[in-house]
Parts: sequence; structure tokens; C-alpha cells
Amino acid sequence: MIDTENLSRKFGNLTAVDNVTLHVDEGEVFGFLGPNGAGKTTTVRMLCCLISKTSGKAQIGDFTVDTEADCLKIRKLIGILPENVGLYDSLSAYRNLDFYGKLYEVPDDRRKENIERLLKLLGIWERREDLVGTFSKGTKQKIAIARALIHDPQVLFLDEPTANLDPEAAKTVRDFVLELKKEKRTIFLNTHNLDEAERLCDRIGILKTRLIAVDSPKNLERSLYSRKTILHLETVTEAVSTVVKNLGFVKSMRVSENKLILDMDNPERDNPELVRLVVSAGGNIQYVTELKSTLEDVYLKLIREAAPK
Amino acid sequence: MRLWKSWIVTAKDLAVFKKNRYVLYSLIALPVIMGVVLPVIFVFALQSEAAQATHAQLLAGAGQLGDMISTYMILIPAVLPSIIASYSFVGEKIERSLEPLLATPTTDGELLLGKSLAAIIPCMGVTYLAAAISLTIFDVWSFSALGLFLLPNVYWILAMGVISPLACIMSVEANVIVSSRMSDIRAAQQVGSLIVLPLIILVISTATGAAGSNVLLALGVSAALAIADVALFYLAKATFQREEILTKWK
Ligand SMILES: Nc1ncnc2c1ncn2[C@@H]1O[C@H](COP(=O)(O)OP(=O)(O)OP(=O)(O)O)[C@@H](O)[C@H]1O
Ligand SMILES: [Mg+2]
Repeated sequence: MIDTENLSRKFGNLTAVDNVTLHVDEGEVFGFLGPNGAGKTTTVRMLCCLISKTSGKAQIGDFTVDTEADCLKIRKLIGILPENVGLYDSLSAYRNLDFYGKLYEVPDDRRKENIERLLKLLGIWERREDLVGTFSKGTKQKIAIARALIHDPQVLFLDEPTANLDPEAAKTVRDFVLELKKEKRTIFLNTHNLDEAERLCDRIGILKTRLIAVDSPKNLERSLYSRKTILHLETVTEAVSTVVKNLGFVKSMRVSENKLILDMDNPERDNPELVRLVVSAGGNIQYVTELKSTLEDVYLKLIREAAPK
Repeated sequence: MRLWKSWIVTAKDLAVFKKNRYVLYSLIALPVIMGVVLPVIFVFALQSEAAQATHAQLLAGAGQLGDMISTYMILIPAVLPSIIASYSFVGEKIERSLEPLLATPTTDGELLLGKSLAAIIPCMGVTYLAAAISLTIFDVWSFSALGLFLLPNVYWILAMGVISPLACIMSVEANVIVSSRMSDIRAAQQVGSLIVLPLIILVISTATGAAGSNVLLALGVSAALAIADVALFYLAKATFQREEILTKWK
């Protein structure tokens, strides 16, 4: 649904986005992670035909972002929640959405239906005639999301949808994204929030001017560090540690107080055997747990390793 | 260019203006001063000298006053757009509402036309209203004092039919260009209103009363405005482009 090939953008001497090649499937939620100034917003703006690219290719559905004719079609196909909500404070919530519905060429009756459905879904239908200027940040954000959906777009670009929201408002927005995911819309989500990315996204791209990694959150977590099993024992005896150290599937072992921290490739297969042997060597096992590397560990490692330009 | 798309933008901008007290006050204040207060003062001033003047002198004075009043009408559409358009362009910039607007399937030209019309329509509307009122005040007096309706004359028709719309368009275009460099509404208004300076030549000419030359001068000013409008149109169009707005507008 979204395809780019060596997509780049320069501002004068500054390269904001460097040779990004990625593919997002139809119905996929794709998270775009990266520090401030990584080029996330710039990428989204290029994909939405808002600013031009310096080089490379980009395509949404069957349309390329090169010609004005294709761009008009792309703009109809996509909805965008920009970094700043940009609603008209002196108009009502309804009038804001109605205005955009008209610009997106949604026929009168469908426009009415869509506004009602979206505002009800987001719990602001009762306040539809209130001026947007009187709403809280979270409510404005919801209206802006409704605006992005007013024409039933197949592809949705969300630029940091939960930034600056309190935890509850952020949760409503996140739950709403999950609803949209069920409707099989393609969603491109810019975020700084790792937890959010992990919960919402099928795949994640990590960007720091260049695209550093793309994979599912699970695979990213696994990719960098091998998996570790932790064995909590009443006490770590000599007998137990000798047995464990000499097991073929244990790649390395570290002792920390009453814990054994074991590096192994396939814990699901080997842990039962490990437990049996430890027990028969007289070990009193209290817990067996997995030491996971989090998306945060992976993210920070990748970002730090990414060579500065 | 789809005019109905531009009209959606115009209608939205007009709705926003309706909620803006400052825009409403300007739309009322300037026409009231130019179209009612000044003509009444001038007419009274002339009337107070009528007793000592010969018919020929009075006729000459009335002719000059008619041209002066027509000229003041031109100042309305020249000044007002700098106030209104600055809300529509700098205002959107401040509210950061241009990006979602630019993301819609609407061309830059359609958006620019829509926003320009939103400034032009109310400004020309109140200009013609003020012109109708001032014309009535003047003619009521000229008929009672001289037995003649002196307005509309050729100069008035040029002023209202040609110079006013051209001046209005110029003012809006100048404001688009000014707005792209400024993020303060007041500053944009002040710079934008400099656009009236060239029109001062008409104010001076009609006030000093080389009466017969006013029509020629008006034709010259019309031509100059037309040229300026075309030039500013291209500049404004080049300024109002997605890429420019999102990457260069400060
Ligand atoms: N109009 C512009 N002119 C010059 N440089 C720009 C412009 N827009 C963006 N940049 C630069 O491009 C780089 C990428 O910016 P971008 O806004 O895409 O980052 P981002 O990943 O969205 O950051 P954030 O998380 O802060 O939103 C930054 O270094 C920024 O300063
Ligand atoms: Mg950003």
C-alpha cells in the first residue's frame, strides 16, 4: 500500500531523510520510531504529497507522489493527523468536520452520517455545536482524528497522535487506533512512545535520518540479544552450577546471588530438560523466568549505534 | 480550477470572520467614516460657504467635492483587505491549520482563490454600500442646492467600477505575500496597508482641484493598478504553494 525506494529529502545542506526504502502492506499498522529530528514528519509530508522529495520514489496504492494529478488522487485516498491539530477555534466541532468533509468531496448525506458516527464513537457528539476553542487538548486531538477519517480513507497517517495527552486521553486514542486496525485500514504511525508502538503496530521501522531497522516488535526484541533464562534457586550449590555449566545447550552462565542467568538459543525446547537436571542435582528451584530485552533496549542500542552523519 | 471548491473555503473563512469582533468592527468603522461622516462634514462645509458664492463657484466646488468623495471610497477597498486578509492568512498560520487544509484534494490555486474571495467579497460589499450612501448624501444636497444630481459622473464610475476592485485585489495579493514572511497579524496589517500610498496621488489631485484632469489621472491609475495586479498575482501564486508554505513560511 505504501512503497518507497531510496526516498530522500534535503533542506539546503541538511539531509533530513536519507535513502529510505520501505513497504507497508494493506491493513498493516506500521510504526515509525525515531528521536526528535529523525525525519518522521518530513517522511510523512512527502508521502502525503505536501512537500516534494529530493530523490527516490514513493507510491501510495497505484499512485506515485510525482505528478499533481496523482497527488490529488493520493490526497483523497489518505487521511492525515498532522503534528499540530490545526482546527478552527472559532467554529464548532461539527462545522470543522463538515468543512473538511466538503473539501474531501464527501456527498452530503454520507458526510452527515460520517460526522455523526465518528463524533459518537469518540464521545463528543453531545458537544458538537460547541466551539472548538473551548475544548481540551485531548478532545481537540480526537476531533482532528475524526477529521482525518471524514472521507473513509484507506490509508491513515498519524503523526504522534498521543503526544501531549494525559494517560486517559492517550488510552482513548490508542483504543481508537486499535478499532481502526480491525477495520483493516493501513495505518502509518509516527511516535516516540515505545510502549505504544509495541502495543499497536504490526511492524516497526526505526528511523534516524536513515532507516536503521524494520521488523515486528517481537523480532526486534529478539534480534539483538540472545534470549536468557533466569533460574532462582534457594541457594546455588557447587553441584548445580557444575551440572548446568556443562550442558550443551547453555551457551554461557552467570551467577548472581541465588540466581543463575543462562544464555540459550531455544529455551522453550531446553528448559524442561534443564529443570529436570537441576532438580536431580539437588537444586531447590523457586522460579524460572525469562529475561527479555525490551523494545526500549533495542531502540536505544540501535539509535546509539547509528553512526552520526 | 473548480470554483465550487474555492467557494467552500470562502464560506468557511466568512464564517470565521463573523466570529471575529475585530474584523467586524473594521468592516463597519471604515465605511461609516468614509461613507457617512466625511461626506456629511464636507457637504456642510460647502453649504456654509454657499451664501457668499456665485452659482458658478458653487458648481465648481461641488464638482470637486464629488470627486473627493469618490476618491475616499477607493481607500476603503485598499485598506480593508490588509486587515481582513491578514486574519485569513497569518491567522491560519498561527492556528497551524494550513497543513490539514493543504492535505485535502484541493489545488493551491483553488485554496488561494477561495481565501482571496473571502477577503474581497466583504470588502467590496461594504465599499459599495458606503458608495451608495455617500452618493445619496451628496446628491440630496446637490439637488437641493444646485438643482442637479452631480454624481455618478465619469470619475465616480471609474473609481467604483475599475479602481476599487483593482485596488482591493492588489491589497489582498500584497497581503498574501506579506503574510508568508510575517507571523504577527498587526505587523502584517501595517505593512499591508502601505499599499494605499500610491493611491494618495488621487487624494492629492482631487483635493487640489485640478478637476478636469481627474478622469485622465484615474485612467492612468487604473492601468498602473492592472499591471501591479498581474505582477502581484504571479508573486502571490508563487508564494502560496504547498512546498513554500510548509517549508519556508516563518
Ligand atoms: N522547513 C525546514 N527547513 C529546514 N529544515 C527542516 C525543515 N523541516 C524539517 N527540517 C529538519 O529536518 C529534520 C527532520 O525533521 P522532522 O520534523 O521530519 O523530524 P521528526 O522526526 O518529525 O522530529 P520530531 O520527533 O521532533 O517531530 C530536522 O533536523 C529538522 O530540523
Ligand atoms: Mg515530527
